[in-house]
Amino acid sequence: MSTLTLLYDPECGLCRRVHGWLAEQPKLVELKMIPIKTDAARRLYPQLNHDLTAEDLTVISSEGAVYFGPKAWLMVLWALCKYREWSYRLATPQLLPTTRRVVSMISEHRYQISRAAGLTR
Amino acid sequence: MNIEIATYLTYLSISIALTIWVAHTLHKNGRIFLVDVFHGNEPLADSVNHLLVVGFYLINLGFVSLTLKLGYEIASPKEGIEALSVKVGTVLLVLGGMHFFNLLIFSRMRRRATMRDAPPPVYPDTFTPVQEA
Repeated sequence: MSTLTLLYDPECGLCRRVHGWLAEQPKLVELKMIPIKTDAARRLYPQLNHDLTAEDLTVISSEGAVYFGPKAWLMVLWALCKYREWSYRLATPQLLPTTRRVVSMISEHRYQISRAAGLTR
Repeated sequence: MNIEIATYLTYLSISIALTIWVAHTLHKNGRIFLVDVFHGNEPLADSVNHLLVVGFYLINLGFVSLTLKLGYEIASPKEGIEALSVKVGTVLLVLGGMHFFNLLIFSRMRRRATMRDAPPPVYPDTFTPVQEA
């Protein structure tokens, strides 16, 4: 796997913040970031259900493997030098349910969190 | 030769011998680890191994010479042996600490090296064709 493409929501302050943080992190796998529901995203993945990408983070590998939501976040961690170990830890059967719950909660309330943290444009 | 000089010389010879022995052990057994970390690149492993051992020598011999001074008078052979045992004990503890620190470095290097080729933590949800531009 050579590249991971992130489809992120540019409308949400939290996502933009994470986007900036990711850009600075040392990586083991190259990360490309494309805003959701744009022409670029549709052109690159013509058969993908782009309405789904608005609900949670989507990560797609250069081979076309699609990861949604919590799995997408784990893949992002996996791509980073400092956090690859954490991606395995959080993906163990003991921790995966918690990971899913926390990530889904954050994704669902991302606009509220962004507002509360003063990350709105 | 008075008791103090004898104590100092014994201290130096024991400490230096111990340092050499630990460094030798580290050098001999650390190599296997490093060869694995560097994916069989033996010249690189030998070089890193050698550099680690040089650092180990410098720190330990520096410590040994800094702690040489007793700071009080020794009147009898009994006191000499007591002082010697305190000094050598300290050197042993420092050597032990350094040794474990080195092991920690080795294992961390190894873990980092195995992480680099590790597969993704989860299976994909689905597949989609990618339209290359």
